[in-house]
Amino acid sequence: MSRADQAEGICLVACQAVTNANADDSQAYVNQVRAEIEAEAEARRRRDPELQRREREIERVWIEVAPPGAAGDQGELLLDRADRLATIDVDVPLGAKPGIRQLKGAIRKVAYWYLRYVSDQVNALNNVLTRLLRRFDERLSVLEDAAGIADGGGLLDPIPEPDGAVAELVASILGAQTGRTVVLGCGSGVLVRPLHDAGIAVHGVDVDALVILPGVRDGLDLRAVDPGAHLAEARPGEFGSIVAAGFVEDLGPASAQRIVEQSLVAASNGTVVIVTGDPAERGIVERELRAGRGLSPATWAYLFERTGAAVELVGTPDPRFRTLVVARLS
Amino acid sequence: MNAIRVHQFTAAIGPRDAVSHHTFEVDTLLRDLGYETEIFAQHSHPDLRDRVHDYRLHADLEADVLLYQASTGSRVGDYVLTRTEPLIVNYHNLTPAEMFDPWEPHVGAELDAGRRQLGRLARKALRGLADSHFNAAELEAAGLGDVVVAPVLFDPPPLRRSASIDVGEPPTVLFVGRLSPNKCQEDLIAATAALREWIPDVRLKLVGGTSSHRYETALREHAQRVCPGGVEFAGSVSETQLADSYAHADVFLCLSEHEGFCVPVIEAMAAGTPVVAFAAAVLPETIGNAGILLEDKSPTNVAVALERVLTDRELRAWLVEKGRARAATFSPERNRAIMREALRAAVEVCV
Repeated sequence: MSRADQAEGICLVACQAVTNANADDSQAYVNQVRAEIEAEAEARRRRDPELQRREREIERVWIEVAPPGAAGDQGELLLDRADRLATIDVDVPLGAKPGIRQLKGAIRKVAYWYLRYVSDQVNALNNVLTRLLRRFDERLSVLEDAAGIADGGGLLDPIPEPDGAVAELVASILGAQTGRTVVLGCGSGVLVRPLHDAGIAVHGVDVDALVILPGVRDGLDLRAVDPGAHLAEARPGEFGSIVAAGFVEDLGPASAQRIVEQSLVAASNGTVVIVTGDPAERGIVERELRAGRGLSPATWAYLFERTGAAVELVGTPDPRFRTLVVARLS
Repeated sequence: MNAIRVHQFTAAIGPRDAVSHHTFEVDTLLRDLGYETEIFAQHSHPDLRDRVHDYRLHADLEADVLLYQASTGSRVGDYVLTRTEPLIVNYHNLTPAEMFDPWEPHVGAELDAGRRQLGRLARKALRGLADSHFNAAELEAAGLGDVVVAPVLFDPPPLRRSASIDVGEPPTVLFVGRLSPNKCQEDLIAATAALREWIPDVRLKLVGGTSSHRYETALREHAQRVCPGGVEFAGSVSETQLADSYAHADVFLCLSEHEGFCVPVIEAMAAGTPVVAFAAAVLPETIGNAGILLEDKSPTNVAVALERVLTDRELRAWLVEKGRARAATFSPERNRAIMREALRAAVEVCV
């Protein structure tokens, strides 16, 4: 270190010491003032009991005007408030002079009291439910963390969409199909576009509203809906064919079985195409993080064959989706 | 060599909004640093739409770094999470949902979702920027290990005034901030009501718009009943009116239970207005030793503090001097220099 650096260092240390001393002095001074304020407030309370009564009165007014849960003890408050707001006069001269004007006034007051009373109760219930839901959510998060299944979405890359060749192949398989086609887990609409271009009545659904935006802007009928719920709510025979992609790679065996059963209802005489990668071909990271989720094309074929469907496995040039499962339900 | 593209995202952009102002300032700094930058938001005020893009139009664009201004839960946050570019999160704090639940349950739910979203953003981001150590601690607790404290960018009103109380005018206690349950304006009203026992003509001026119509209604009724004629609800005001409010205030009182930085405290200090505050959340950090920090905000205690500041000329002068010195440490030039360096370092971490 040069002499100049040493001198500058000494100066900085000295300046810092002065600053620290000033800070210490300031801290001591404001601490002293605060102590004096607290002592003075306490002394005034002792000298003047009216002060405490006034503080309680201010707090009571706030509890009155604030909704349940916002201030004070809410135990009996709701009923107390209902009593205070109940401006009904039991001696109201119903049927007596001056007659109808007063009756209307009374009805107005009753209606006001009743609506306020009901809204308070609804708000109180809503408040309690919100808090309970939050606690429930927190406990679920703790359990998920402990089980190691929490929010894997932040760790895993999104499931890739198939390439255009797979989409063309799916369109050729379904080309002769009659009735509406739905693409479950449509993503940005890669599988929807060739069907749409071929003049087939088709729409896609995906749980992620952001992912579908490019396709929507391109004029495709893509909807931000949970694919599983969309299939479950379909009417019998509503679809001529069903294409399931993307989200199927996150399903366990029970959920996959449910998809098969619901497809039998929603496309009773139609065709189902499952577009999925094979879990056995996943990389080590995806294999570990997506463990227990996703079925191979062979297993999907087995599930459909058990229902009596005619199943065909069709090869594709896309290395990520080597085999399509085509189940003809009729 | 192509310039680095830094795309900035925020939930909403509007005039006279602290995070919006900060976002525009950051935009300027990023350009100064030689980066290509654009701002994307979910909601933007019509007057600002030539400077801000709808975030949904970003889907087809590519960036080198994304910078998210986090102050609430938003669809923009969800969108940022779907992107693969390196992410920087600039955190301005989220009000705890519990404070809004009784008043506006839907806002509470949004804040709750926002906090969960913050956790996901924190796990994805490479670098965090927080405008106080208090906020930095929250961001770290959310899961982001690399957080740098860099100030929120704001321009305090360019006002200077004497330490004396305006002669002939009733003493004015001022608070600036939206009517919001976390800011506890009911406690300000209660303290003013208590102070009227000793200084009958004291009045409280509340400057700021509202975050909850229901809360505002309750505050007005509360004020009417415990402090009739003593509370002015000034609402949202212009820059000039804000400067006037600081100029004519005799003391700035803040009894908030949750603040992420509290710019008005610094503005008050810069304007030469003594500050009294409740020692909660970030306020001890923002105020330092330049104001009276109370650990008990019962009406009598706060009223005694206000009376002391209004009547003790020596203490007033000391608070004004210390306040101005404290405010100077948050000067716009210094803040911009720190933020500029923080942005440069954060982008370097990402590319």
